[in-house]
Amino acid sequence: MPEYWIGDVEGRVLGPVSLDVVQDLVNTGRLTEITRVSRDGRNWGAPAGFPEVMTLLLNAPSPDALLGSERQEAARVREQLRAMQGRPPHEIFRLDRNASVDAYRNAFFKLVKRFYPDRVRAQAHPDLRKAYADAFQFLSRLMVHIEKDLAAGVPVSPLPVVRAVPPPPQGEDEPLTPIPAPPPQMAKPLKVVPRSMTPLPRPSPLTPDPRRSLLEQTQPLRTSPLGAPPAEGPYSYQPHEFVGFERRDDRVEVTIRVTARNSRMFTDHPLANLKADGFFLACAKSLPLGTLVDVIFRFDEEKREVRSRGRVILENTGGDPTRPTGFGVRFITLVDQDRRFMLKFVEKTAAH
Amino acid sequence: MSDGPILIVDDDAFVRTLLREMLQEQGHPLREAKNGHDALSLDGPPPRVVLLDLFMPEMSGMEALTLIRDRWPTTRVLVISSMDSERLVDEALAAGASGYITKPFHPMEIASAVERALAA
Repeated sequence: MPEYWIGDVEGRVLGPVSLDVVQDLVNTGRLTEITRVSRDGRNWGAPAGFPEVMTLLLNAPSPDALLGSERQEAARVREQLRAMQGRPPHEIFRLDRNASVDAYRNAFFKLVKRFYPDRVRAQAHPDLRKAYADAFQFLSRLMVHIEKDLAAGVPVSPLPVVRAVPPPPQGEDEPLTPIPAPPPQMAKPLKVVPRSMTPLPRPSPLTPDPRRSLLEQTQPLRTSPLGAPPAEGPYSYQPHEFVGFERRDDRVEVTIRVTARNSRMFTDHPLANLKADGFFLACAKSLPLGTLVDVIFRFDEEKREVRSRGRVILENTGGDPTRPTGFGVRFITLVDQDRRFMLKFVEKTAAH
Repeated sequence: MSDGPILIVDDDAFVRTLLREMLQEQGHPLREAKNGHDALSLDGPPPRVVLLDLFMPEMSGMEALTLIRDRWPTTRVLVISSMDSERLVDEALAAGASGYITKPFHPMEIASAVERALAA
């Protein structure tokens, strides 16, 4: 079987793999830019020198075709979800009725990743994002339910149906919501030095915020911004528990030197604050909703650096004069001990 | 062999940090490398398990996989990748990987896969 090595703009190499694998990765959008190709891993050339690879790239689905197929995929996912609801869990996961919790977990991980929200590309059709989010939430709740049943020593029962999956949207040719613009391509990491924040008027946490991202609109906030975090069960299978998805083309790195003066970035904003697993960075620049952000917090006095990944969940580019301009980030990943450290830091600075 | 570490090979420092945090809780000795070359130049006892990214600079994960299997034949290699093509999974397994975990991964999934690899 012919073997290929391929390289991307970041100098990463994949190979040896078959041309079939390259085709899979191109067609699913996993591989969008190939900068060099090799047949032996040593001698490299431009993709143009490999007509069979160029053919794959040229035949990659167009944006319009992708949107069309994403709408069809959304309909399939909704249909799948309807079929799953009410079915015995062991049938959904294709397991024996008396399967162990480990077997359920393994089957769950295999199935749920198909619907992980970040699997869809940034410019994907909103219907598909929603369908994935619904399927992911259903399976996550089901898995928590299974854990509870098995821990209690009772047979695993179907998840009570909370609400039916809505029927497909009317007017098949019209999207439900505007298709988001692609995120900016940023060649260099964005270095942001936050300025001090002014106190914000605090709206009721129950007031819907039109600036909430699509993902937020499909999921309840994890915490009340002004209240304590909800009691966590022994297990959680929420999307933010999953880590390690690579999507580098629309990721921005933000480095923040945290001082007592600017630590209010973790506390002042009613939606983007540390208790709600986020922060609000008041600065002249903003980032579009949904942008993935790698954040490095530098606590110079404590000689500590905290790294996290998050997503922009709100932005103010100046349209709302009652709030500082900047953007709010919800953490996707934040190591527990780092969270504890930051909470302690915030408490300490607030006390002074 | 029994005191060998778990070796994390990923060019993404963020992913290495997260894997380290996850596995430290299990009490395993750990080592890290940011690419295949660094992994293969490590001294000390052979790793019991390697968590290996596939798409890395300098040396691809597939090449590193082959060389790791040559150098440490009893080491179990778990490939971790966001490239979830079924054919790629097949090719990685055929090249000697003991398992294939697609990103994103859940901490429990990593812990479980490592324990299974250690017990094998």
